[in-house]
Amino acid sequence: MEEEAEAEEQQRFSYQQRLKAAVHYTVGCLCEEVALDKEMQFSKQTIAAISELTFRQCENFAKDLEMFARHARRTTINTEDVKLLARRSNSLLKYITDKSEEIAQINVERKARKKKKSEDGNHNSRELAEAGVVESEK
Amino acid sequence: MEGVGAGAGFRKELVSRLLHAHFKDDKTKGAVSGDSLQLMAELLKIFVVEAAVRAVRQAQAEDAILVDVDQLEKVLPQLLLDF
Repeated sequence: MEEEAEAEEQQRFSYQQRLKAAVHYTVGCLCEEVALDKEMQFSKQTIAAISELTFRQCENFAKDLEMFARHARRTTINTEDVKLLARRSNSLLKYITDKSEEIAQINVERKARKKKKSEDGNHNSRELAEAGVVESEK
Repeated sequence: MEGVGAGAGFRKELVSRLLHAHFKDDKTKGAVSGDSLQLMAELLKIFVVEAAVRAVRQAQAEDAILVDVDQLEKVLPQLLLDF
């Protein structure tokens, strides 16, 4: 039984390592962009430190989001909860609020385009069907 | 913030896994809305970029040739307070 618990612990540990590695990769890419923009190099330790920082900050974010949703008596986390995370800095809050509207807008447009596509598709197949009916009646 | 535009970023799936790994409540383990994941990805991106840019500014103020952990440490307290 101890072996099982140990194996599970190992699995959880390696999963966490994979997550950290994925974060590290993204952090590396973002820092590279900043480095190019500001013409300043980052040491490897700095990138690793930012990566570790981001990973730990996610834990705080996750717990907060969970609590905000529960406070609002919801089981699903939504954008209002995320906006609350950004409350401590005014400029951050404004940026996030603007972004959330941008995202909502993009998704509305995307859904409208999908709906139009499927409507056009139905329209075309209806035309073909009617043409077919007329043909056979002849 | 305009310098770092539509380049790198956090993928939605990664964000989802990161959050789920830390959820405590069994009821929440279901659900983060898609829009929220995108917004969280933005927030995380800003977090990283802010950390990086502030560290750069510190290094520039110190006339350092590269951004090392020493510079990052100095900007850390304010960064964490802002988030």
